[in-house]
Amino acid sequence: MKNVIEVKNLKREYVTTKGWISRKKESLMAVAGIDFSVKEGEIFGLLGENGAGKTTTIKMLITLLAPTSGVCNVLGYDTFKEADKVRGQINFVFGGEMGVYRRLSARDNLLYFAGLYKIKGEEAKRRTEELLKLVELEAASDRLVETYSKGMIQRLQIARGLINNPKIIFMDEPTVGLDPLGANMLREIIRKLKAEGKTVLLTTHYMQEADDLCDHIAIIHKGKIVAQDTPKQLKVRFGKNGADSTLEEVFLCLCKS
Amino acid sequence: MLMQIIKDTMFLQMKQSFVRPMFRFCLIANPIVNTIFLYEMYLQKGADTFLNYVVLGAGLMGIWSCICFSSIGDINRERYSGTLALIYVAPGGFGKIIFGKVLGNTMLSLLTFVISYITACVLSAFTWGEESSGIEKFLSTIIHIENIGYFIFASVMLILTFVLISICFAFILMLSRKTELYMNLLEIPLIFICGFTFPVEVLPQWIQNISNCLAPTWAVRMLRSSQMNWESFGILCIELLVLLLLTWVLYKWVDRRIRINATLEVS
Repeated sequence: MKNVIEVKNLKREYVTTKGWISRKKESLMAVAGIDFSVKEGEIFGLLGENGAGKTTTIKMLITLLAPTSGVCNVLGYDTFKEADKVRGQINFVFGGEMGVYRRLSARDNLLYFAGLYKIKGEEAKRRTEELLKLVELEAASDRLVETYSKGMIQRLQIARGLINNPKIIFMDEPTVGLDPLGANMLREIIRKLKAEGKTVLLTTHYMQEADDLCDHIAIIHKGKIVAQDTPKQLKVRFGKNGADSTLEEVFLCLCKS
Repeated sequence: MLMQIIKDTMFLQMKQSFVRPMFRFCLIANPIVNTIFLYEMYLQKGADTFLNYVVLGAGLMGIWSCICFSSIGDINRERYSGTLALIYVAPGGFGKIIFGKVLGNTMLSLLTFVISYITACVLSAFTWGEESSGIEKFLSTIIHIENIGYFIFASVMLILTFVLISICFAFILMLSRKTELYMNLLEIPLIFICGFTFPVEVLPQWIQNISNCLAPTWAVRMLRSSQMNWESFGILCIELLVLLLLTWVLYKWVDRRIRINATLEVS
């Protein structure tokens, strides 16, 4: 299997200025030199506490942010210099209720994004219906999104993220705030995507979810990767009870030390 | 596909804008109020100034308000709703999406002319009454357009001018979240400087020099002429070309800077 994501010594620094008269610069190293690679067709988990640098890493991979330095390649293309070659082949889902047009229906949202991903007429309609069925929003598809529950909006986000049938899908805490049924549905969708040969890069705070789904996991702490391996190997290497440890124990052990 | 993206975005924008109370205020209430004020101001000036400064003046003020509070502010709204990042990374092309949005808002804003015209008609019916041959007389003077073909051409040039200005500001807003504040400050001065409601010739020479550097001044002059004004057209074309070039340079520069400065989302 070839690597579809390659990250080498990747850094991202945020610089902000403060003050009216004497401008003072402040900087924060959100990602402080990380290395990892993701193979085609695998589910890769990026775990870390809040502010560890997971979302920043994803934003660099999806061409939304420029790296300060280092290599950030997706499907063999540089995500900053060759962003146009990457964008049509990937997509992403961010958790939460943002990222949808609330005064449109779910169907109109999906049709609009299909157009933005250059999917034409009949194909766009067919894909929209397929995705509405997949996320079980068929019955509510013509209602305005502003009338949806949080879980429904998140399911719509997932459908939008799959609109262009992406080769790689990036999911940033997609199950946050979902009820057990919704979270289970999403996990099934992720498994289905893997079965179809898609690559998924996932961040989550639910350790059990990562353990169940991911082929490989990287644990990121204060902008640096402190460990990466298969879930089983992580437990063997860092768990107090070896293979019988939980991923949560491993995570706490690595992030507290 | 290019036209499809622009068309879809344009209609989506019209739908989204119209449901917003602030946009509806700029589109409907604002031209009504402005027409009433301008009507009273120009009542004694004769029929010639009516079309030029009441209907066109209130319409232009309405369009400019819609642009200030909607076309440009939409970037911030998209930023806060989390959709700005989504449309930015869509392969359809961010420039086309912004163009579609601005075009949709500008086309919808043209409704201000109709509202201003209807308001002026209603006012005239009350003011003139039967003694001065009634509304028919008013209508015959107010809608008298010498050359309809030229009027449409001048209107297209005006739309083009406003679209280009909006795109420029939209790109700048992507770099700085404070641009919306500056846009609020620009609303009234531009109405005066570009001669939306009175001729720029009444302004001091130094302000007239500024006016002449701004494309809307010439677009408005063209719209107010009864026939082809080659001087205004020539200068407007040069200023629009400069604006187009500036928009292109801004687009290329902003496309890089927003990813470096991380200004697409709310932190």
